[in-house]
Amino acid sequence: MRKFSEYNPIVVAVWFFSVTGVAMFCNYPILMAISLVGAVLFFTVRNGLSHGREHLFFWVLFAVLALANPLISHNGKTVLFVMNHNPVTLEALLYGVNSAAMIIGVLYWFRSFTQIMTSEKLLYLTGALSPKLSLVLSMALRFVPLFGRQSEKINNAQTAMGLYKDDNIIDDIKGRSRVFSVMVTWALENGIITADSMEARGFGTGRRTQLRHFGFRAGDIVLLIVTLLLLGVTAAAVGTDSLSIDFYPEINIKAPDILGISGILSYGALILLPLIIETEVRLKWKYLRSTI
Amino acid sequence: MLLIKNKSLRDFIRFAVPLIAVPVITIAGAVAFDEKKHIIISLAVAVSALLLFAAGFEKKSTGTRRMVIVAVMAALCFAGRFIPFLKPIAALTIITALYLGGEAGFLVGSLTAILSNFYFGQGPWTAFQMLAWGLIGFFAGLLADKLLKSRALLLIYGAAAGLAYSFIMDIWTVLWYNQGFDVKLYLAALVTAIPYTASYAVSNVLFLYLLAKPFGEKLQRIKVKYGV
Repeated sequence: MRKFSEYNPIVVAVWFFSVTGVAMFCNYPILMAISLVGAVLFFTVRNGLSHGREHLFFWVLFAVLALANPLISHNGKTVLFVMNHNPVTLEALLYGVNSAAMIIGVLYWFRSFTQIMTSEKLLYLTGALSPKLSLVLSMALRFVPLFGRQSEKINNAQTAMGLYKDDNIIDDIKGRSRVFSVMVTWALENGIITADSMEARGFGTGRRTQLRHFGFRAGDIVLLIVTLLLLGVTAAAVGTDSLSIDFYPEINIKAPDILGISGILSYGALILLPLIIETEVRLKWKYLRSTI
Repeated sequence: MLLIKNKSLRDFIRFAVPLIAVPVITIAGAVAFDEKKHIIISLAVAVSALLLFAAGFEKKSTGTRRMVIVAVMAALCFAGRFIPFLKPIAALTIITALYLGGEAGFLVGSLTAILSNFYFGQGPWTAFQMLAWGLIGFFAGLLADKLLKSRALLLIYGAAAGLAYSFIMDIWTVLWYNQGFDVKLYLAALVTAIPYTASYAVSNVLFLYLLAKPFGEKLQRIKVKYGV
């Protein structure tokens, strides 16, 4: 029994790209609503009620995006009112709301994605694709805090030598650029030393290993297969135009047939998968603890 | 396998096919296609161009020293993204490309995008940022001889790169919002992005003006001293 974020990164990434891919490449309002609600739910289940500022930003952006379209695009039959000699239409407004729901939904998904896919997991994914690039990435990640510490040291040394600012902005800028310049020279030299020492220890002579081992367990395979099956049904429904909508010149929403309905249901199930897993884990934890 | 004797021509083709031919063909195809599918095509092209580049880089034997220098430059760019209002990433990418070649420039630009987005948020736009910054570095590497000779030309290239970056990212904004390309929305996006566009262009010129010479000297020194 694992939390959703503890599953193999490949499986988690496939799930994320399935969910966001359907949301991005389709404009059927019901799917957009499912994606947006699911994304907000997923984010709040993981983070509780914190991150208030992010929520605020997302919903302000939602309003801006939803209102931008009717102000720019004047297609559509149903005129609501006329502004600056330009008609504002119901169709354009709904189109804007639909697009905004898609974008905000995907933004929420990727917030959760960034939280779950730590750099270590992403290095595991890129390592499968290109070990060399993954190495460069992981080294750069390590350099960032290293450079921070080194700047601090250089700064202290400069201060000890008497080269510190005295409420003079020009001196301040000069001092900072001196520290930066020293830091860059050191960083490049240090890089060469690192490279030589890597080569001396046999870098590039064998397969590289990962810091953490992500195995493929039975649960991973089940989750992967279920994800791909649900994605397949949804993609079939979207691809065969069972779920299509035209906004212009007037809204023409196709009543979904059996394939369409099963597409909607499987997209809903796809989005609920991690929530089901997390709830199961929580229940099991509670149940087992009460019998101890 | 097809053999081309001239090494520089071979190198040029190796880059030109994934980075220039694929986008051009697909944009041409996209115009002929159903307009609702532009977003799929554009994202697929961006990702495939990056994958092709990664595959090429993987096969080539790059010296360890060179790889580490690329990592150092990417880390410096990442740190630079925290500066408010001014963005030194493109300028540092261009400087790297001038001294270490187009491939290193492409790597620094694209890796900075993926790295800094760990902090600023990953998203479908990551692929476009990677491609945009990567191409800025790649073309700077191609034009290195001319840009190194004339400082004015370098600053012009920096300003142009800032504008181009903003224009490319706005194409993506419109595609994402509307799925198909729409000129009116694109113009609206360009207008709302003017402060950002200006900040990109200004910071490129400013940082190239300030950093090109000292940074160039340091990179040149490393090149001479260690033969990177």
